[in-house]
Order: sequence, then C-alpha cells, then structure tokens
Amino acid sequence: MRYLAYILAQTGRNLKQTWSTQCMTLLTVSLSVLIFAFFFLIYTNMLAAGEKLGDELRLIVYLEDEIVPQMQDQLERKIRGFSDVEKVVYVSRKKAFDRLSKQLDKDKDVLDDLGPDFLPPSIEVYPAKNLHTLTQIKHFADFLATLPQATKVQYGHSWVERFAYFTKLLQIIMFLSGGLLILTTTFMVSYTIRLTIFARREELQILRMLGATDAYIKVPLLLEGVMQGFLGTGFGLLSLYFLFTWIRERFTGPGFLNLFEFSFFPLQILVLITGVSIIFCAGGSLTSMRKLLRL
Amino acid sequence: MKKTTENTPPGEIPVDKPFVDLVKVSKIFKPSITALQDISISIARGELVFLTGMSGAGKTTLLKLICCLDRPTKGVIEVEGKDLSRLKPKQLQLLRQNIGVAYQNFRILPDLTVFQNISMAMEVAYRSPTVIRRRIDDLLNMLLLTDKRDTETGKLSRGEQQRVAIARAAANSPSLLLADEPTGNLDTETTWQVMNLFKQLNDAGTTIIIASHDETIYKNAPFRTLKLVQGKLV
Ligand SMILES: Nc1ncnc2c1ncn2[C@@H]1O[C@H](COP(=O)(O)OP(=O)(O)O)[C@@H](O)[C@H]1O
Ligand SMILES: [Mg+2]
Repeated sequence: MRYLAYILAQTGRNLKQTWSTQCMTLLTVSLSVLIFAFFFLIYTNMLAAGEKLGDELRLIVYLEDEIVPQMQDQLERKIRGFSDVEKVVYVSRKKAFDRLSKQLDKDKDVLDDLGPDFLPPSIEVYPAKNLHTLTQIKHFADFLATLPQATKVQYGHSWVERFAYFTKLLQIIMFLSGGLLILTTTFMVSYTIRLTIFARREELQILRMLGATDAYIKVPLLLEGVMQGFLGTGFGLLSLYFLFTWIRERFTGPGFLNLFEFSFFPLQILVLITGVSIIFCAGGSLTSMRKLLRL
Repeated sequence: MKKTTENTPPGEIPVDKPFVDLVKVSKIFKPSITALQDISISIARGELVFLTGMSGAGKTTLLKLICCLDRPTKGVIEVEGKDLSRLKPKQLQLLRQNIGVAYQNFRILPDLTVFQNISMAMEVAYRSPTVIRRRIDDLLNMLLLTDKRDTETGKLSRGEQQRVAIARAAANSPSLLLADEPTGNLDTETTWQVMNLFKQLNDAGTTIIIASHDETIYKNAPFRTLKLVQGKLV
C-alpha cells in the first residue's frame, strides 16, 4: 500500500512538471485513436452489412444437362477445393420448374405450354461470407465457368464487386490509420517521457544516490505512459461515440444509413482498442527509459 | 562504541571484521590525474573516523568510491563484507539506502522544501509517513532548522543547506554515514550542533567517516584520523 502511494506521488510529480506536453500528447493520442476507430467502425459495419447482403449472394452455374448424383459429389468437391463455400445445391430441371411454378402461383398456367423441361439444370453455390471470398468472387465465377457441363455463371456482379472494392479500400485506410496510431502513441509518449526524464534529471540522479530501486524510478514513468494510453484512447473513443450518435440522429429517417443497421463497437472491441494502445504507450515510455535511464 | 586514538597508525586493521575495507585502492582520472594511490584502510563497525588532508588530496574521491558513486581504477572495496564491484543493481540500491551521504556540494533540490528534501530519502526506503514526519522533526530540531521546515532549500543560506544535506544523510539512521566537509559553511554554534548529531548517531552504532580539512573539529577529538596527501595515506 505504502509502496503504491509513493509510486503514485512520484507519478503526480512527473505529470506536474511537464503538464503542457502531457496535454499535447494526450491530444495527439486521442486524435489518432479517433481517426483509426472511425475507419474501423465503418469497416466493421461494412462487414456486418456484407454478411447480411451475402444471404442473397449466390453464384448460379447453369449446366448443359442433368448430371448423376455421383457426378454432383465430384463437382461439389472440386468447387470446395477452390474456395470456401457455405453450401452447394444441385437444382435439377424438375426442381427448377417446381420452384418457378410456385413463384408464379396463380399464373402458372403460362408454363403449361412449355413443359417441365424448358429450364436448364443448375448448381447454386453459396460462398462463405468473408471478405476474402467476396473480393475473389469474379475469380471464383471464372473458375466455375470452366467446370464440365457449365454453360453460364450468373451472380450479382456489380454490387458484389463494388462492395468488395470499397471494403478493400477501407481495409487499407484502416491499416494506414492503425499504423499512424501506433507511431503517434509510441513516439509521442516516448517523447513526453523523455521530457519528463530531462525535467527531473537532477531529482532522478539524487534518487539513485539515495538508493531508490528500479521500480521506484521506473514504475511512475511507465504509469505515465499507461495513463496517456488510457486517457487518450478514452477521449478518442468517447468523441467517436458522440460523433456517431450525432450522425445517427442527423440522418435518421428513410435514407442511405437505414439501408443497414449502423452500430457502435461492442464492449470487447472498445476494451481491445484501449488495451492495445495502452501497450504501445507503455512501449513508448519503456524505450525512452532504456535510452535515458542509465544513471 | 569503538574508539581509537589519534595516534593509531593510518590504515591499521582493527581486530574485528572491518565494516569498510579498502585494499590497495587507486583512482586515476583520465587522462592521468592520480586522485588516490594504493589506499588501504579498514574501519570497524561503529567507528568514527576523520579523513583529513588539504583540498585536492582526494577525500571526496575516496568517499565517492565507498558509496559506490564511482569505481576504483584498481583495488577492492568492501562494505559490510560485500565487494562493491560484485554487487547486483538491486543489492547496490539496497546498500545505498543504508549508507547516508552528506555531499560536499549538498545535492539537494532547491525547489523542494527542507522537509521534502529529507523526506525523499526516507520515501525511497518506503518508511511510513508518520515515521518520516517524526524523524524529520527530530532532526530539524537537533540541527536548529525547525523554523525552516517548509522553506524551499534554494532560499536558504549555505550553512542551512549544508545542515539539510546532513539531516538527509542521517534520516534513515543508516549503518554507515559519510560526511564530506560537513562543517565547511557553518559557524561555531552550528558546527557544534552537527558534531553533536554525529556523536549521537555514532553512540547509537552508526559507523561514520567525516572528510574535513577543518582542524578544529578533529584536533582534540578522541577519534582516529587518517590523513591524505596528494592521494596517499600518510
Ligand atoms: N571527476 C573528476 N575528473 C578529473 N579529476 C578529478 C575528478 N574528481 C576529482 N578529480 C581530481 O582528483 C583530485 C582529488 O580531488 P578530491 O577528491 O575532490 O579532493 P578533496 O575532496 O580532498 O578536496 C583533485 O586533483 C581533483 O582535481
Ligand atoms: Mg572534497
């Protein structure tokens, strides 16, 4: 307990001595967390939306002729070997006809003249709903077209591709802002700790002479970094939350954002972001200490 | 308490196991200033020793070696039976908490108060706030500094600052106390107070080494005196 009290007192002294830089660092950390979390939030929401839209996503491979069950298994194995697939459904001529007549319901007599064989058999492929399969969808379709018996492959080209492209772009932005976050947290914190060390050089030297242990000197500096990380991330995420609710209130009603549910991070993600940025801030203060604290 | 007379030859080894033991210690500063040369001294537990010699004789250098603020170029130094050159950082830190040093240039922080400066030494050793308060009040009382308790040390006179440095050195009731020119800036009255404090600590068992060129404090004192001349014991 006493140990803790003295460590905290030391930390307080540190903060007091370099408070203006501390504020700057806090601001930078907050800002970079805000930027990163902003893109990350859009990204996760995109993924969630993709998952929902993906329910309707399937590739239909039209076949020349009916195939026997043995052949169906073989084809399915081939397809699964190429890409992650949720399910593969074989639709025979008859099944296709039944489906259509069910859809047409009262108007189904129009089909009477055509006979049950006019629709081609097909294989319906439901790709696994992850970003990889979505971005590779064109590739996948090209592959399906090369299957024996395949005549044509059909899928919702435009939106899938646009969606995949957009998600990919977000992914890149996210990585960049994530990198920025890591850089700012580590460097800014390392810089502030360095200032603290310089400001208290004389005192630290005297502490050493008086027999202060490593913990006594280093833990407060580490704590300073951890606090920067914690508060900075806290402010960043809090401002993102306000931004988020503001946008949601502003654009409520029938419109673009109602297309899919826009939701904030779950608690786990918030904790994760905070934890990671604390780790990087602590890392920043450790680097400074390693460089400067050989008293 | 162990007292030896002024006439004891320098460096003679006391009977029981020495508390501070230097064997053929030399210190050469780059490029070629020989500050200490082949110094062998044994100081028994509980002894009070004066280290004398003109300014520049090597007194400060010797004290710095004993409190491990610097390393000897040659030779072995043992404190409490431990070879200082072999101490792990943690052991060294604990040893330092147990050695009180009043530096010639004080090394106190001018923007902290008297109380805060002394308290630092005790906080480092994780003493309780109550113990710290009581101990500091006692020391300030003894050194006639009570009314300066909450004054920043930068605003004090040299003599007052010196006594703060001494109080800090004594704060943890260390088993070894090193004082470098402790009376250099003091008048007769305060010199007497400081020497009184040292005697009290020594009576309580603290081993004390006082470096001083001030004859008046060691001339008629019943303690061993070691004299340095140009880095050599004479
Ligand atoms: N850090 C140092 N670098 C170079 N020379 C030093 C250093 N410290 C002390 N000296 C030299 O060592 C000698 C002894 O100095 P010192 O121990 O301070 O003497 P004293 O304390 O007896 O006055 C002096 O000649 C001094 O100039
Ligand atoms: Mg000196």
